[in-house]
Amino acid sequence: MAGRRLTKWFVAVPMAALALATVYPLLFTANVAMKTRREYVLDRFSLSGALRWENIASAWTSVGMSRYFLNSAIVVTCSVALLLLFGSMAGFALARLRFRGSSVLFLGCLAALFIPFQVIMIPLTRVMADAGLVDTYPGLVLAYVAQFLPFTVFLMTSYYSTVPAEIVDAARIDGNTLYGVYWRIMLPLGRPALLSVGVLNALFCWNDVLISLLMMPSAENRTLMVGVTSLRGQYSDDIPVFASGVLIAAVPVLVVYLFLQRQIADGVTAGATKG
Amino acid sequence: MAPTVLIIVALRLWPLVLGVNFSFTGDGARNGAAVGLLVLLLPVAVAIPGLLATSIYLRVPGHRVYRGVYFFPAVLSPVIVGAIFNLLLAYDGPLNTLLGGVGLGPVDWLGDPDVAIFAVVGVHVWATFGMALVVFLAGFAALDPSLLDAAKVDGASLPQTIWHVIIPGLSRTIQFVFVTTMIGMLTSMFGLLFVMTSGGPEASTYLPEYYIWVQQGQFNQPALASAASTALFLIMLVVGLAQIGVLRRAGRES
Repeated sequence: MAGRRLTKWFVAVPMAALALATVYPLLFTANVAMKTRREYVLDRFSLSGALRWENIASAWTSVGMSRYFLNSAIVVTCSVALLLLFGSMAGFALARLRFRGSSVLFLGCLAALFIPFQVIMIPLTRVMADAGLVDTYPGLVLAYVAQFLPFTVFLMTSYYSTVPAEIVDAARIDGNTLYGVYWRIMLPLGRPALLSVGVLNALFCWNDVLISLLMMPSAENRTLMVGVTSLRGQYSDDIPVFASGVLIAAVPVLVVYLFLQRQIADGVTAGATKG
Repeated sequence: MAPTVLIIVALRLWPLVLGVNFSFTGDGARNGAAVGLLVLLLPVAVAIPGLLATSIYLRVPGHRVYRGVYFFPAVLSPVIVGAIFNLLLAYDGPLNTLLGGVGLGPVDWLGDPDVAIFAVVGVHVWATFGMALVVFLAGFAALDPSLLDAAKVDGASLPQTIWHVIIPGLSRTIQFVFVTTMIGMLTSMFGLLFVMTSGGPEASTYLPEYYIWVQQGQFNQPALASAASTALFLIMLVVGLAQIGVLRRAGRES
């Protein structure tokens, strides 16, 4: 037994080192964002002499991160709202209503889940261009909804399958319409799954760069992640401002992660244990 | 049996990998081992999170903290990860300063064609091992604890426990992680490549996804790009199915 305890401590040391290697890059970036250019050139590692928010402010205003931030916030909010609405409706219908072709529809959703984005990205750009949706908010929102809807429907269907069918029947007998059952019963019941799926979808949309690069080509419509990629060329000589821009894009994710870590992990693993 | 395996691997499978690789590097580009490298790295990229998850499951000191810390980079956008490592790996950046401090010459992490692909794939593994770790932990949660107790009563050593109890018990999870890790390497490195190297230097970091984007976005050749993306899809399908088949068989034999 003593031997086993020793082994555990032996393993714990490299694991702690790895944990440090996992968080250090972000801490380093945060520290650099607080430095002056002179401080960074003189010493890369020393702690910044003071908390200087000027770099953050200059990244926010003069570089235009505020505009990109707003673009991302609008697009992500709309996309997640639509994903949750359509996903829960379809999940309810597929899990609890028997109608002609329901199993075919579910299989269709599963099949869509396995199509990688790369395979459809060129035809999709064509379709969007033909519809006049390139470089518009609705276009990007629609692209995100299309991309993440199969996953959302899949998770909501498997969640609603665990809701007892008697609840739906009882609500129908009480005189609720189908939409009434959905709105008053299924939607509130689905809250834990909606939270988990919603957070995950918000992260996917917030972090995406490829879809937004294709759908929003013009500079003023950039989302935050595309904005970060453009920082590299413009501010390669002003490292603290560059680091500030990166920090602005990372902080929302960090906050969400601190509060909703369990929901994120649940969403990620749901596919693994059910599929 | 051994010669057969050797011959098939050396003269059948390896050229297949090379051929796939050539088709993605483009003419005049270096025949860097991009895709082949990924295939070789795959077992490592699965084993590391597997071992870490095992340690966390067996309650190494501090196990509560590790899960949350390790998973964190996986929720960051590849763009942010790439931008951070652009800073860290710059030629006059902190990592080279650190290496210089112990007398190792500066390495041009992202500018040397022989090094850049390793740097980018390394960063990708750094950013995503937490994802596989969380999936492994979910697998452990579904594992029957009485099996582990039985192993403990029988006096099994840790490696014996891992080999005879944990690996067979988690075979479905391992399959899943194998396939998703491979798909991740083939299809979710666009953000990193876009930020860190733009496919360079000398096209040494062209991975399939990036190639498709360049053909479409830069050279405006949708037909070529579509052909490449269809080929990528077929490769993923075939390799994914083959992996599941191989792992199934291995699981049945043990």
